[in-house]
Amino acid sequence: MTAAPSPSRFATLAEGVGTSVFGIAETVGGMGLLLGRILARLFPPRLDYPELRRNLYKMSVKSVPIVIITALFTGAIMVIQAAPIVKRLGAEGLVGWAAGFGTLREIAPLLTALMISGRVGANNTAELGTMVVTEQIDALRALAIDPIAFLILPRFIGITVTLFMMTLYADALALLGAAYSSKALIGVEPTAFLHGLTGGLLGFADVANGLVKSVVFGLVIALASCHFGLTTTGGAPGVGKSVNATVVASAAGIFVLDYFVSFLLG
Amino acid sequence: MISFKHIKKAFGPKPVLDDVSFDVKRGEVFFIIGASGVGKSVLIKHLIGLLRPDGGEIWLDGEEISRKDELGMMPVRKKCAMVFQHSTLFDSMTCAENVALPLRKHRGMKTRDALIEAKNRLEVVHMQDFADRFPSELGDGMRKRVAIARALTLDPTYVLFDEPTTSLDPVSARRVDKLIRELSDKLGVTSIVVSHDLASIFSIADRIVMLYRGKVKLMGTPEEFKAVDDPIVQQFIHGRAQGPIE
Repeated sequence: MTAAPSPSRFATLAEGVGTSVFGIAETVGGMGLLLGRILARLFPPRLDYPELRRNLYKMSVKSVPIVIITALFTGAIMVIQAAPIVKRLGAEGLVGWAAGFGTLREIAPLLTALMISGRVGANNTAELGTMVVTEQIDALRALAIDPIAFLILPRFIGITVTLFMMTLYADALALLGAAYSSKALIGVEPTAFLHGLTGGLLGFADVANGLVKSVVFGLVIALASCHFGLTTTGGAPGVGKSVNATVVASAAGIFVLDYFVSFLLG
Repeated sequence: MISFKHIKKAFGPKPVLDDVSFDVKRGEVFFIIGASGVGKSVLIKHLIGLLRPDGGEIWLDGEEISRKDELGMMPVRKKCAMVFQHSTLFDSMTCAENVALPLRKHRGMKTRDALIEAKNRLEVVHMQDFADRFPSELGDGMRKRVAIARALTLDPTYVLFDEPTTSLDPVSARRVDKLIRELSDKLGVTSIVVSHDLASIFSIADRIVMLYRGKVKLMGTPEEFKAVDDPIVQQFIHGRAQGPIE
Protein backbone atom coordinates (compact mmCIF):
# COMPACT_ATOMS: atom_id res chain seq x y z
CA MET A 1 0.00 0.00 0.00
CA THR A 2 1.37 3.43 -0.92
CA ALA A 3 0.83 6.55 1.15
CA ALA A 4 -1.24 9.33 -0.40
CA PRO A 5 1.02 12.00 -1.89
CA SER A 6 1.32 15.10 0.30
CA PRO A 7 0.08 18.27 -1.38
CA SER A 8 2.80 20.43 -2.86
CA ARG A 9 3.64 23.82 -1.36
CA PHE A 10 2.10 25.44 -4.42
CA ALA A 11 -1.18 23.56 -3.93
CA THR A 12 -1.27 24.53 -0.25
CA LEU A 13 -0.54 28.17 -1.12
CA ALA A 14 -3.17 28.18 -3.88
CA GLU A 15 -5.72 26.66 -1.50
CA GLY A 16 -4.93 29.31 1.13
CA VAL A 17 -5.23 32.15 -1.38
CA GLY A 18 -8.45 30.70 -2.80
CA THR A 19 -9.99 30.35 0.65
CA SER A 20 -9.07 33.94 1.50
CA VAL A 21 -10.48 35.28 -1.78
CA PHE A 22 -13.75 33.36 -1.28
CA GLY A 23 -13.89 34.58 2.33
CA ILE A 24 -13.49 38.22 1.28
CA ALA A 25 -16.04 37.77 -1.53
CA GLU A 26 -18.50 36.23 0.95
CA THR A 27 -18.03 39.12 3.39
CA VAL A 28 -18.38 41.82 0.73
CA GLY A 29 -21.40 40.03 -0.76
CA GLY A 30 -22.97 39.65 2.69
CA MET A 31 -22.47 43.36 3.38
CA GLY A 32 -23.99 44.22 -0.01
CA LEU A 33 -27.06 42.11 0.74
CA LEU A 34 -27.39 43.66 4.19
CA LEU A 35 -27.13 47.16 2.67
CA GLY A 36 -29.91 46.24 0.23
CA ARG A 37 -32.13 45.00 3.07
CA ILE A 38 -31.44 48.18 5.08
CA LEU A 39 -32.23 50.45 2.11
CA ALA A 40 -35.47 48.51 1.49
CA ARG A 41 -36.57 49.49 5.03
CA LEU A 42 -35.86 53.17 4.34
CA PHE A 43 -38.46 53.55 1.57
CA PRO A 44 -40.91 54.07 3.19
CA PRO A 45 -39.05 54.46 6.50
CA ARG A 46 -39.82 51.71 8.99
CA LEU A 47 -37.79 53.10 11.83
CA ASP A 48 -38.23 52.55 15.57
CA TYR A 49 -37.67 56.08 16.94
CA PRO A 50 -37.16 55.12 20.62
CA GLU A 51 -34.49 52.64 19.50
CA LEU A 52 -32.88 55.33 17.28
CA ARG A 53 -32.83 57.79 20.23
CA ARG A 54 -31.29 55.15 22.51
CA ASN A 55 -28.58 54.34 19.96
CA LEU A 56 -27.80 57.98 19.19
CA TYR A 57 -27.35 58.69 22.91
CA LYS A 58 -25.18 55.62 23.43
CA MET A 59 -23.11 56.15 20.29
CA SER A 60 -22.84 59.94 20.04
CA VAL A 61 -23.20 61.50 23.48
CA LYS A 62 -21.11 58.86 25.18
CA SER A 63 -18.35 59.29 22.57
CA VAL A 64 -17.87 63.01 23.23
CA PRO A 65 -15.20 62.71 25.98
CA ILE A 66 -12.95 60.45 23.93
CA VAL A 67 -13.36 62.67 20.85
CA ILE A 68 -12.47 65.78 22.90
CA ILE A 69 -9.24 64.23 24.14
CA THR A 70 -8.28 62.79 20.73
CA ALA A 71 -9.05 65.98 18.81
CA LEU A 72 -7.34 68.44 21.20
CA PHE A 73 -4.14 66.42 21.21
CA THR A 74 -4.26 65.77 17.47
CA GLY A 75 -4.32 69.51 16.78
CA ALA A 76 -1.46 70.02 19.21
CA ILE A 77 0.58 67.22 17.56
CA MET A 78 0.10 68.83 14.14
CA VAL A 79 1.70 72.02 15.50
CA ILE A 80 4.53 70.14 17.24
CA GLN A 81 5.43 68.52 13.91
CA ALA A 82 5.21 71.80 11.99
CA ALA A 83 6.85 74.04 14.61
CA PRO A 84 10.60 73.51 13.76
CA ILE A 85 10.21 74.22 10.05
CA VAL A 86 7.79 77.11 10.61
CA LYS A 87 10.27 78.74 12.98
CA ARG A 88 13.22 78.13 10.67
CA LEU A 89 11.42 79.70 7.69
CA GLY A 90 9.77 82.44 9.76
CA ALA A 91 6.38 81.40 8.37
CA GLU A 92 4.43 81.74 11.62
CA GLY A 93 1.52 83.33 9.70
CA LEU A 94 0.98 80.10 7.80
CA VAL A 95 0.74 77.78 10.81
CA GLY A 96 -3.05 78.17 10.94
CA TRP A 97 -3.36 77.15 7.33
CA ALA A 98 -0.91 74.25 7.68
CA ALA A 99 -2.65 72.80 10.73
CA GLY A 100 -6.12 73.43 9.32
CA PHE A 101 -5.44 71.91 5.91
CA GLY A 102 -4.25 68.57 7.24
CA THR A 103 -6.72 68.44 10.10
CA LEU A 104 -9.92 69.29 8.24
CA ARG A 105 -9.24 67.20 5.12
CA GLU A 106 -7.57 64.14 6.60
CA ILE A 107 -6.54 63.81 10.22
CA ALA A 108 -9.80 64.70 12.00
CA PRO A 109 -12.11 62.44 9.93
CA LEU A 110 -9.58 59.59 9.87
CA LEU A 111 -8.72 59.52 13.57
CA THR A 112 -12.34 60.09 14.60
CA ALA A 113 -13.38 57.16 12.39
CA LEU A 114 -10.75 54.91 13.97
CA MET A 115 -11.84 55.96 17.48
CA ILE A 116 -15.54 55.43 16.70
CA SER A 117 -14.76 52.10 15.02
CA GLY A 118 -13.04 50.92 18.21
CA ARG A 119 -15.64 52.29 20.62
CA VAL A 120 -18.96 52.11 18.79
CA GLY A 121 -18.40 49.59 15.98
CA ALA A 122 -16.86 46.94 18.22
CA ASN A 123 -19.56 47.46 20.84
CA ASN A 124 -22.28 47.21 18.20
CA THR A 125 -20.91 43.90 16.91
CA ALA A 126 -20.56 42.50 20.43
CA GLU A 127 -24.14 43.44 21.28
CA LEU A 128 -25.63 42.05 18.05
CA GLY A 129 -23.45 38.93 18.20
CA THR A 130 -24.55 38.24 21.77
CA MET A 131 -28.18 38.72 20.72
CA VAL A 132 -27.67 36.18 17.92
CA VAL A 133 -26.04 33.49 20.06
CA THR A 134 -28.58 33.92 22.88
CA GLU A 135 -31.50 33.67 20.39
CA GLN A 136 -32.68 37.23 21.08
CA ILE A 137 -32.82 37.90 17.32
CA ASP A 138 -34.98 34.77 16.89
CA ALA A 139 -37.14 36.02 19.77
CA LEU A 140 -37.68 39.29 17.89
CA ARG A 141 -38.71 37.34 14.78
CA ALA A 142 -41.00 35.18 16.91
CA LEU A 143 -42.70 38.39 18.10
CA ALA A 144 -43.32 39.27 14.42
CA ILE A 145 -40.81 42.14 14.67
CA ASP A 146 -38.44 42.64 11.73
CA PRO A 147 -34.88 42.64 13.21
CA ILE A 148 -33.52 44.71 10.31
CA ALA A 149 -36.07 47.50 10.76
CA PHE A 150 -36.05 47.38 14.56
CA LEU A 151 -32.40 46.71 15.38
CA ILE A 152 -30.18 47.31 12.38
CA LEU A 153 -31.63 50.42 10.76
CA PRO A 154 -31.39 52.58 13.93
CA ARG A 155 -27.81 51.40 14.48
CA PHE A 156 -26.89 52.05 10.85
CA ILE A 157 -28.27 55.60 11.00
CA GLY A 158 -26.87 56.08 14.51
CA ILE A 159 -23.28 55.21 13.57
CA THR A 160 -23.33 57.30 10.37
CA VAL A 161 -24.80 60.35 12.15
CA THR A 162 -22.39 59.86 15.07
CA LEU A 163 -19.35 59.91 12.82
CA PHE A 164 -20.54 63.04 10.98
CA MET A 165 -21.26 64.88 14.25
CA MET A 166 -18.08 63.75 15.96
CA THR A 167 -15.99 64.80 12.96
CA LEU A 168 -17.53 68.28 13.17
CA TYR A 169 -16.60 68.45 16.87
CA ALA A 170 -13.17 67.02 16.16
CA ASP A 171 -12.52 69.65 13.46
CA ALA A 172 -13.30 72.49 15.86
CA LEU A 173 -11.51 70.99 18.85
CA ALA A 174 -8.39 70.02 16.89
CA LEU A 175 -8.07 73.57 15.59
CA LEU A 176 -8.53 74.86 19.15
CA GLY A 177 -5.78 72.53 20.34
CA ALA A 178 -3.57 73.61 17.46
CA ALA A 179 -4.17 77.34 18.15
CA TYR A 180 -3.21 77.12 21.81
CA SER A 181 -0.22 74.85 21.24
CA SER A 182 0.98 77.33 18.56
CA LYS A 183 0.89 80.02 21.20
CA ALA A 184 2.74 77.82 23.69
CA LEU A 185 5.36 76.38 21.33
CA ILE A 186 6.17 79.08 18.78
CA GLY A 187 4.48 82.15 20.22
CA VAL A 188 1.83 82.52 17.50
CA GLU A 189 -1.14 84.39 18.92
CA PRO A 190 -4.54 82.67 18.49
CA THR A 191 -5.73 85.67 16.41
CA ALA A 192 -2.81 85.17 14.02
CA PHE A 193 -3.57 81.46 13.91
CA LEU A 194 -7.20 82.28 13.08
CA HIS A 195 -6.07 84.67 10.36
CA GLY A 196 -4.02 81.85 8.83
CA LEU A 197 -7.11 79.69 8.85
CA THR A 198 -9.50 82.23 7.38
CA GLY A 199 -7.07 84.20 5.20
CA GLY A 200 -8.31 82.68 1.96
CA LEU A 201 -6.08 79.62 1.61
CA LEU A 202 -8.71 77.39 3.24
CA GLY A 203 -12.35 77.28 2.24
CA PHE A 204 -15.61 75.45 2.79
CA ALA A 205 -14.47 72.79 0.32
CA ASP A 206 -11.76 71.70 2.77
CA VAL A 207 -14.30 71.25 5.55
CA ALA A 208 -16.77 69.52 3.21
CA ASN A 209 -14.02 67.17 1.98
CA GLY A 210 -13.50 65.86 5.50
CA LEU A 211 -17.21 65.66 6.23
CA VAL A 212 -17.92 63.64 3.07
CA LYS A 213 -15.20 61.25 4.21
CA SER A 214 -16.79 61.02 7.66
CA VAL A 215 -20.10 59.89 6.12
CA VAL A 216 -18.34 57.27 3.97
CA PHE A 217 -16.37 56.00 6.98
CA GLY A 218 -19.57 55.91 9.03
CA LEU A 219 -21.27 53.75 6.41
CA VAL A 220 -18.30 51.35 6.38
CA ILE A 221 -18.24 50.99 10.18
CA ALA A 222 -22.03 50.61 10.38
CA LEU A 223 -22.16 47.99 7.65
CA ALA A 224 -19.16 46.00 8.91
CA SER A 225 -20.26 46.02 12.55
CA CYS A 226 -23.85 45.01 11.76
CA HIS A 227 -22.79 42.33 9.25
CA PHE A 228 -20.28 40.65 11.54
CA GLY A 229 -22.66 40.92 14.49
CA LEU A 230 -25.52 39.27 12.64
CA THR A 231 -23.36 36.48 11.23
CA THR A 232 -21.89 35.49 14.61
CA THR A 233 -21.81 31.77 15.35
CA GLY A 234 -20.19 29.68 18.05
CA GLY A 235 -21.07 31.29 21.40
CA ALA A 236 -18.74 33.60 23.32
CA PRO A 237 -15.60 32.79 21.24
CA GLY A 238 -17.68 33.56 18.13
CA VAL A 239 -18.58 36.98 19.51
CA GLY A 240 -14.89 37.68 20.12
CA LYS A 241 -14.02 36.68 16.55
CA SER A 242 -16.79 38.87 15.14
CA VAL A 243 -15.61 41.91 17.12
CA ASN A 244 -12.07 41.30 15.88
CA ALA A 245 -13.30 41.00 12.29
CA THR A 246 -15.25 44.25 12.62
CA VAL A 247 -12.26 46.22 13.87
CA VAL A 248 -9.98 44.84 11.13
CA ALA A 249 -12.53 45.22 8.30
CA SER A 250 -13.54 48.72 9.40
CA ALA A 251 -9.94 49.94 9.62
CA ALA A 252 -9.05 48.40 6.25
CA GLY A 253 -12.22 49.79 4.66
CA ILE A 254 -11.56 53.26 6.10
CA PHE A 255 -8.04 53.44 4.66
CA VAL A 256 -8.99 52.01 1.25
CA LEU A 257 -12.00 54.30 0.88
CA ASP A 258 -10.00 57.27 2.19
CA TYR A 259 -7.67 56.80 -0.77
CA PHE A 260 -10.51 56.67 -3.31
CA VAL A 261 -12.52 59.53 -1.80
CA SER A 262 -9.38 61.71 -1.58
CA PHE A 263 -8.61 60.86 -5.21
CA LEU A 264 -12.16 61.64 -6.38
CA LEU A 265 -12.65 64.84 -4.38
CA GLY A 266 -9.13 66.10 -5.06
CA MET B 1 -55.75 23.22 14.32
CA ILE B 2 -52.09 22.51 13.61
CA SER B 3 -50.99 19.65 11.35
CA PHE B 4 -47.43 18.52 10.80
CA LYS B 5 -47.38 16.34 7.67
CA HIS B 6 -44.34 14.21 6.79
CA ILE B 7 -41.84 16.77 8.11
CA LYS B 8 -38.21 16.12 7.23
CA LYS B 9 -35.24 18.14 8.42
CA ALA B 10 -31.51 17.51 8.34
CA PHE B 11 -28.54 19.59 9.44
CA GLY B 12 -25.74 18.66 7.04
CA PRO B 13 -25.64 14.90 6.61
CA LYS B 14 -27.43 14.29 9.92
CA PRO B 15 -31.21 13.78 9.63
CA VAL B 16 -33.04 15.13 12.69
CA LEU B 17 -36.69 14.79 11.71
CA ASP B 18 -37.67 11.97 9.39
CA ASP B 19 -41.30 11.88 8.23
CA VAL B 20 -42.90 13.32 11.37
CA SER B 21 -46.70 13.68 11.20
CA PHE B 22 -49.29 14.56 13.87
CA ASP B 23 -52.14 16.97 14.59
CA VAL B 24 -52.69 19.34 17.52
CA LYS B 25 -56.31 20.20 18.31
CA ARG B 26 -57.64 23.60 19.33
CA GLY B 27 -57.49 24.33 23.06
CA GLU B 28 -55.46 21.32 24.16
CA VAL B 29 -52.22 21.17 26.09
CA PHE B 30 -50.04 19.05 23.84
CA PHE B 31 -46.63 17.81 24.96
CA ILE B 32 -43.72 16.84 22.69
CA ILE B 33 -41.32 14.58 24.56
CA GLY B 34 -38.21 12.62 23.71
CA ALA B 35 -34.53 12.34 24.54
CA SER B 36 -32.21 15.34 24.20
CA GLY B 37 -31.24 16.10 20.60
CA VAL B 38 -34.19 14.23 19.09
CA GLY B 39 -35.48 17.38 17.38
CA LYS B 40 -38.31 18.59 19.64
CA SER B 41 -37.24 22.24 19.68
CA VAL B 42 -36.34 22.04 16.00
CA LEU B 43 -39.88 20.86 15.25
CA ILE B 44 -41.68 23.72 17.01
CA LYS B 45 -39.35 26.31 15.47
CA HIS B 46 -40.70 25.18 12.09
CA LEU B 47 -44.18 26.27 13.10
CA ILE B 48 -43.22 29.96 13.30
CA GLY B 49 -40.75 29.89 10.41
CA LEU B 50 -37.53 30.15 12.43
CA LEU B 51 -36.52 26.99 10.55
CA ARG B 52 -37.78 25.66 7.21
CA PRO B 53 -38.49 21.96 6.62
CA ASP B 54 -36.56 20.09 3.95
CA GLY B 55 -39.76 18.22 3.13
CA GLY B 56 -43.38 17.96 4.25
CA GLU B 57 -46.07 20.49 5.07
CA ILE B 58 -47.28 22.43 8.09
CA TRP B 59 -50.93 23.45 8.18
CA LEU B 60 -52.26 26.09 10.57
CA ASP B 61 -56.01 26.70 10.69
CA GLY B 62 -56.46 25.37 7.15
CA GLU B 63 -53.50 27.20 5.62
CA GLU B 64 -50.19 25.69 4.49
CA ILE B 65 -47.48 27.88 6.09
CA SER B 66 -44.16 26.11 5.56
CA ARG B 67 -43.50 27.80 2.20
CA LYS B 68 -44.23 31.34 3.39
CA ASP B 69 -41.41 33.90 3.30
CA GLU B 70 -40.32 36.03 6.27
CA LEU B 71 -42.97 38.69 5.58
CA GLY B 72 -45.68 36.07 5.07
CA MET B 73 -44.84 34.50 8.46
CA MET B 74 -45.59 37.72 10.38
CA PRO B 75 -49.36 37.03 10.78
CA VAL B 76 -48.55 33.44 11.77
CA ARG B 77 -46.16 34.68 14.47
CA LYS B 78 -48.80 37.02 15.89
CA LYS B 79 -51.13 34.03 16.17
CA CYS B 80 -48.45 31.62 17.54
CA ALA B 81 -46.32 33.00 20.35
CA MET B 82 -43.19 31.24 21.55
CA VAL B 83 -41.50 31.08 24.95
CA PHE B 84 -37.88 30.07 24.39
CA GLN B 85 -35.94 27.71 26.61
CA HIS B 86 -33.59 30.46 27.86
CA SER B 87 -36.29 33.13 28.06
CA THR B 88 -34.45 35.36 25.51
CA LEU B 89 -35.52 38.64 27.08
CA PHE B 90 -33.85 41.66 25.51
CA ASP B 91 -30.94 42.55 27.80
CA SER B 92 -30.98 46.26 26.99
CA MET B 93 -34.61 46.68 28.07
CA THR B 94 -36.31 46.49 31.46
CA CYS B 95 -38.91 43.79 32.07
CA ALA B 96 -41.71 46.27 31.41
CA GLU B 97 -40.06 47.46 28.18
CA ASN B 98 -39.70 43.83 27.06
CA VAL B 99 -43.42 43.21 27.55
CA ALA B 100 -44.34 46.61 26.10
CA LEU B 101 -42.42 46.03 22.87
CA PRO B 102 -45.03 43.88 21.03
CA LEU B 103 -47.74 46.30 22.18
CA ARG B 104 -45.83 49.26 20.73
CA LYS B 105 -45.04 47.50 17.48
CA HIS B 106 -48.33 45.71 16.77
CA ARG B 107 -51.04 47.48 18.74
CA GLY B 108 -49.76 50.94 17.82
CA MET B 109 -49.66 51.96 21.49
CA LYS B 110 -47.60 54.95 22.62
CA THR B 111 -44.60 54.04 24.79
CA ARG B 112 -46.19 55.36 28.00
CA ASP B 113 -49.49 53.50 27.43
CA ALA B 114 -47.66 50.33 26.42
CA LEU B 115 -45.61 50.44 29.64
CA ILE B 116 -48.77 50.81 31.76
CA GLU B 117 -50.36 47.85 29.96
CA ALA B 118 -47.09 45.88 30.29
CA LYS B 119 -47.16 46.35 34.07
CA ASN B 120 -50.72 44.97 34.12
CA ARG B 121 -49.52 41.97 32.11
CA LEU B 122 -46.63 41.44 34.53
CA GLU B 123 -49.11 41.34 37.38
CA VAL B 124 -50.67 38.21 35.86
CA VAL B 125 -47.34 36.38 36.32
CA HIS B 126 -46.69 38.06 39.70
CA MET B 127 -43.75 40.09 38.38
CA GLN B 128 -45.16 43.61 38.75
CA ASP B 129 -42.63 44.50 41.46
CA PHE B 130 -39.78 43.79 39.07
CA ALA B 131 -41.11 45.80 36.11
CA ASP B 132 -38.23 48.28 36.14
CA ARG B 133 -35.49 45.71 36.62
CA PHE B 134 -33.25 44.50 33.79
CA PRO B 135 -33.28 40.77 32.93
CA SER B 136 -29.67 40.37 34.12
CA GLU B 137 -30.85 41.31 37.64
CA LEU B 138 -33.36 38.42 37.79
CA GLY B 139 -33.16 34.69 38.40
CA ASP B 140 -34.08 32.05 35.80
CA GLY B 141 -37.60 31.51 37.10
CA MET B 142 -38.38 35.22 37.16
CA ARG B 143 -37.03 35.70 33.65
CA LYS B 144 -39.16 32.79 32.46
CA ARG B 145 -42.29 34.40 33.91
CA VAL B 146 -41.54 37.71 32.20
CA ALA B 147 -40.94 35.82 28.93
CA ILE B 148 -44.36 34.18 29.32
CA ALA B 149 -45.97 37.59 29.95
CA ARG B 150 -44.27 38.94 26.84
CA ALA B 151 -45.41 36.00 24.71
CA LEU B 152 -49.01 36.50 25.84
CA THR B 153 -49.20 40.25 25.13
CA LEU B 154 -50.73 39.81 21.69
CA ASP B 155 -53.34 37.34 23.02
CA PRO B 156 -52.14 34.49 20.78
CA THR B 157 -54.28 31.51 19.82
CA TYR B 158 -51.32 29.15 20.13
CA VAL B 159 -48.35 29.28 22.50
CA LEU B 160 -45.23 27.20 22.00
CA PHE B 161 -43.27 26.52 25.18
CA ASP B 162 -39.71 25.23 24.78
CA GLU B 163 -38.82 23.48 28.05
CA PRO B 164 -40.69 26.00 30.22
CA THR B 165 -39.82 24.37 33.55
CA THR B 166 -36.17 23.54 32.90
CA SER B 167 -33.86 25.19 35.46
CA LEU B 168 -36.80 26.20 37.67
CA ASP B 169 -37.25 25.15 41.28
CA PRO B 170 -40.15 22.72 41.84
CA VAL B 171 -42.50 25.39 43.19
CA SER B 172 -41.86 27.78 40.26
CA ALA B 173 -42.17 24.84 37.84
CA ARG B 174 -45.60 23.87 39.17
CA ARG B 175 -46.70 27.53 38.97
CA VAL B 176 -45.73 27.58 35.30
CA ASP B 177 -47.65 24.30 34.79
CA LYS B 178 -50.70 25.85 36.43
CA LEU B 179 -50.43 28.91 34.19
CA ILE B 180 -50.24 26.75 31.04
CA ARG B 181 -53.27 24.71 32.14
CA GLU B 182 -55.25 27.88 32.94
CA LEU B 183 -54.45 29.38 29.55
CA SER B 184 -56.13 26.37 27.99
CA ASP B 185 -59.05 26.03 30.40
CA LYS B 186 -59.96 29.71 30.79
CA LEU B 187 -58.87 31.33 27.53
CA GLY B 188 -58.95 28.38 25.12
CA VAL B 189 -55.28 28.87 24.21
CA THR B 190 -53.63 25.87 22.56
CA SER B 191 -50.26 25.11 24.15
CA ILE B 192 -47.53 23.00 22.56
CA VAL B 193 -44.99 22.19 25.24
CA VAL B 194 -41.56 20.69 24.64
CA SER B 195 -40.51 19.15 27.93
CA HIS B 196 -38.57 16.49 29.79
CA ASP B 197 -40.32 17.29 33.05
CA LEU B 198 -42.28 14.13 33.92
CA ALA B 199 -44.21 15.92 36.69
CA SER B 200 -45.44 18.51 34.17
CA ILE B 201 -46.19 15.95 31.50
CA PHE B 202 -48.40 13.77 33.68
CA SER B 203 -50.12 16.62 35.51
CA ILE B 204 -51.27 18.96 32.73
CA ALA B 205 -50.95 17.21 29.33
CA ASP B 206 -54.08 16.42 27.33
CA ARG B 207 -52.07 14.49 24.76
CA ILE B 208 -48.43 13.60 24.25
CA VAL B 209 -46.28 12.73 21.26
CA MET B 210 -42.95 11.01 21.76
CA LEU B 211 -40.18 11.43 19.18
CA TYR B 212 -37.48 8.80 18.86
CA ARG B 213 -34.74 8.67 16.23
CA GLY B 214 -36.45 11.43 14.23
CA LYS B 215 -39.82 9.66 14.03
CA VAL B 216 -43.04 9.59 16.03
CA LYS B 217 -42.71 6.72 18.49
CA LEU B 218 -46.10 7.08 20.16
CA MET B 219 -48.94 9.57 20.41
CA GLY B 220 -51.72 9.44 22.98
CA THR B 221 -53.06 10.55 26.33
CA PRO B 222 -50.97 10.33 29.52
CA GLU B 223 -52.99 7.23 30.50
CA GLU B 224 -52.18 5.55 27.18
CA PHE B 225 -48.50 6.32 27.69
CA LYS B 226 -48.57 4.74 31.13
CA ALA B 227 -50.39 1.69 29.83
CA VAL B 228 -48.40 0.98 26.67
CA ASP B 229 -46.09 -2.01 26.72
CA ASP B 230 -43.10 -0.51 24.91
CA PRO B 231 -39.66 -0.66 26.58
CA ILE B 232 -38.49 2.62 25.00
CA VAL B 233 -41.58 4.55 26.14
CA GLN B 234 -41.50 2.95 29.58
CA GLN B 235 -37.81 3.71 30.05
CA PHE B 236 -38.39 7.36 29.14
CA ILE B 237 -41.50 8.01 31.22
CA HIS B 238 -39.98 6.33 34.25
CA GLY B 239 -36.62 8.05 33.76
CA ARG B 240 -34.61 4.83 33.98
CA ALA B 241 -30.89 4.94 33.20
CA GLN B 242 -30.86 1.36 31.91
CA GLY B 243 -32.83 0.36 28.83
CA PRO B 244 -33.00 0.41 25.04
CA ILE B 245 -32.73 4.24 24.62
CA GLU B 246 -29.25 5.08 23.37
